[in-house]
Amino acid sequence: MRQNKITELGLLLLSGLILINGYLAVALPNHHFSYQTFSITVILIALWTLTSVVIRRRFFYADPVLLPLAVFLASIGLTLILRLRPDLFIQQAMWLAAGLIAFIVTVVIFRQTEDIAKYKYLCGITGIVLLLVTIALGVDIGGNKNWIILGPVRVQPAEFAKLLIIIFLAAYLSERRQLLTYATRHYGPLTLPHPRFIAPLIALWAITMAMLIVQRDLGSALLYFGTTVIMTYMASGKWGYVVFALGLFFTGSAVCYYLFPHVQVRIDIWLNPWADPSGRSYQIVQSLFALGSGGLLGSGLTFGYPNIIPEVHTDFIFAAIGEELGLVGTAAVIMTYILIVYRAFRTALASQVPFTMLLAGGLGVLTALQVFIIIGGVTKFLPLTGITLPLISYGGSSMVASFILMGMLFAISEATVTQ
Amino acid sequence: MNKLDIPQKAIRRSIYKVGLFSIALLVLLLSYVIYIQIFESDMLAFHPLNRRTAETARTVQRGQITDKRGEVLALSKFSQKEYRREFPYDALFAHIVGYDSPKYGKTGIEGTYDGYLSGQINPEKRLGAISQLFTVRSGNTVVLSVDAQLQQAAYQALGNHRGAVVVMSPKSGAILAMASRPSFDPNTLNTTWDNISQAANSPLLNRAAQGLYPPGSIIKVMVAETALAEHVTNEFNCNGSFKIGPDYILTEVNNTAHGKLDLQHALAVSCNVTFGQIALNLGRSKMAKSFERYGFTQQMKGDILESANKLPDFSRLNDGDLAQTGIGQGSLLVTPLRMAMLASTFANKGIMMKPYLVQKITAPDGTLLRETKPDVWLSPTDSKLAGQIADMMVSVVEEGTGTAAALRGIQVAGKTGTAENPHGDSHAWFIGFAPAEDPQVAIAVVVENAGSGGRVAAPIARQILLQALR
Repeated sequence: MRQNKITELGLLLLSGLILINGYLAVALPNHHFSYQTFSITVILIALWTLTSVVIRRRFFYADPVLLPLAVFLASIGLTLILRLRPDLFIQQAMWLAAGLIAFIVTVVIFRQTEDIAKYKYLCGITGIVLLLVTIALGVDIGGNKNWIILGPVRVQPAEFAKLLIIIFLAAYLSERRQLLTYATRHYGPLTLPHPRFIAPLIALWAITMAMLIVQRDLGSALLYFGTTVIMTYMASGKWGYVVFALGLFFTGSAVCYYLFPHVQVRIDIWLNPWADPSGRSYQIVQSLFALGSGGLLGSGLTFGYPNIIPEVHTDFIFAAIGEELGLVGTAAVIMTYILIVYRAFRTALASQVPFTMLLAGGLGVLTALQVFIIIGGVTKFLPLTGITLPLISYGGSSMVASFILMGMLFAISEATVTQ
Repeated sequence: MNKLDIPQKAIRRSIYKVGLFSIALLVLLLSYVIYIQIFESDMLAFHPLNRRTAETARTVQRGQITDKRGEVLALSKFSQKEYRREFPYDALFAHIVGYDSPKYGKTGIEGTYDGYLSGQINPEKRLGAISQLFTVRSGNTVVLSVDAQLQQAAYQALGNHRGAVVVMSPKSGAILAMASRPSFDPNTLNTTWDNISQAANSPLLNRAAQGLYPPGSIIKVMVAETALAEHVTNEFNCNGSFKIGPDYILTEVNNTAHGKLDLQHALAVSCNVTFGQIALNLGRSKMAKSFERYGFTQQMKGDILESANKLPDFSRLNDGDLAQTGIGQGSLLVTPLRMAMLASTFANKGIMMKPYLVQKITAPDGTLLRETKPDVWLSPTDSKLAGQIADMMVSVVEEGTGTAAALRGIQVAGKTGTAENPHGDSHAWFIGFAPAEDPQVAIAVVVENAGSGGRVAAPIARQILLQALR
């Protein structure tokens, strides 16, 4: 238990060195160095060290790599924000601080993780309401129509809705898993339960289709839907759900493709970006140029031209990493996500309670899918979609939500080991 | 152990599978990123639409292009926050050096050697951030083999004619001058582009390497070498015209009958009847092989962007067309560069050197990055036959059609040509080399629609040789 504490502090210190190194690498060649921003950097490092010290007074067994991994990715993100948009650096640093506070709060709330299952309908309904509000009232900022403006505050409720819906699904599915597994009806070759039991899945499918149509947001639609389906599979162990759901999704997407020109445009750009490289596929082509120009070792921070790419500091931040830090940087980032996903599933498998097993597994799937969809999008592996790269992209909602996610995993991992 | 454990085992199993699937997804993604950043890297980094090269170039002083003596042909000057390219010789080197315009791209040496000139090709570029330690803020200097004074002489000698001149060293293949008229001023491209890109006389075309012309009688030097090699050298009899088949008659200029003559005399007076006869005696396959030996069927890779020469399909030629090919007419089309190389072959003991324009490339600190070593391209004939042809070419200038190219005190070898073409008056040709006993320069001159080679092209060649041998 003492070992965990030391490991965590050691890794946090390493992340701190990476942040300071990144800060200096960006600030010195451009003469951007200022004691104000430098002290902010130092304060952040102090803050995350403090976070560790505080939570380790009550948590002795929790996974010691989760917080350092999150802080490492956030450091890379912060360095890139300083490089790409120095004007947003202080704000992003504040979001990171807010994320650390959210991490502590989440860890405390989820200390008795099983108790959360009691509030599953509250979570589920809040999540769906947040999504519906976003669909109905979403404002377009920087190409993503998923912002809600409440006076001075601009938030992306969808970032939090994801987590609420995963809590709901974990609780709901762990209670009903026997029904899902055994109470079946036959529809031709497919074996599915009574529609009553899969109503929430149908509802989520309807909402994701609405996101696709109203918000033009293929990525979020895929993310929600994929997570729902895979969690259902985890609970039931039945492939039938996956086949059925993929059928629904592809039917829906195909209909959208033929009915809505904007979906067609996205797909056409993906299939052949070189048909209109200076027009519709400008962004993705510039992203590919950035990645290719970076090569193995990159141009070095501040020596590339990532600002040619529109929206580089949010959705396309991965391309900027590829250009200035090269494959070495992009591979480090992807491998860090792989580690986070690995730790999430390790926690899930070590857990004794179906609810926490499904919750940790669901969070792992969510992270993997989100990273896959956005990085796949900016590298033309998948059609381009507007979702954020967790912990790295600029933005408060995404940052805070990601730290909540890490906090949930942290709390679950504590509970699993103490048994 | 209670009975809840069994379904939990099932969940654990499916979570395990999903975990593997999730990690596999991200590993797949990582592999794809590796593919993009390593295997597609060069294609993407140097893609013409990728602005990075141009952006970097604007902050780097592009290297100079100079002639062999260091005369600056192209340089970058800093004005209004960025570098601009200037060409001190205006139109003189436009086809060799090319242009460098943000709007119309790059051509010539500016295009082919862009990597060196912009400094982008330097090996330390691969070192990522570390490369910043070595970064040079100026590109490399490209030194050409051309001689600015000789280029000037060649350009002026063409006068207001359309045409081209190639002067090269037969021993090394170095291009000493390559002029093409009309030309254009690369300094004023932005204002003149519409005119020069659409003008009927195609000033953008480098006639020296990309102009395709029927060679006319200058090809006879090659046919004569083939006749010697194949022993088709009996005495010929010329009565002014030559009837081939039922309906084709090959005629001499002005129907002059040359009477009885040997190969040397036939070349000196450029007897069409003799060479038509030789082509027929050699036959289709030997004629085709001869063009092949002299490289006309191959494209050269190197500094100079050339047009592919056009040969007839020998297996399908009728006798009349075969005889026409023997005197350089018919569907045969060649570039002046290849004709200069043909003359060089006889000047250089039957060895055809690979022509080159870039002598060397030096880094800003003077380090030699690359130097061109003369390289044999083809060996179409041996030194004995080459010597015989060279002697015949001397007699062309001493007593035949090429006397206008003769220099006092220096023996010149040459061959004239007057190539009929569908675009008007004949093209005037001269190829040759000098001094005949120890050739320093070989030359090809073509003047479009200007008439007789002996009267128009030979005097132009003389002026240029005079400058070259000074």
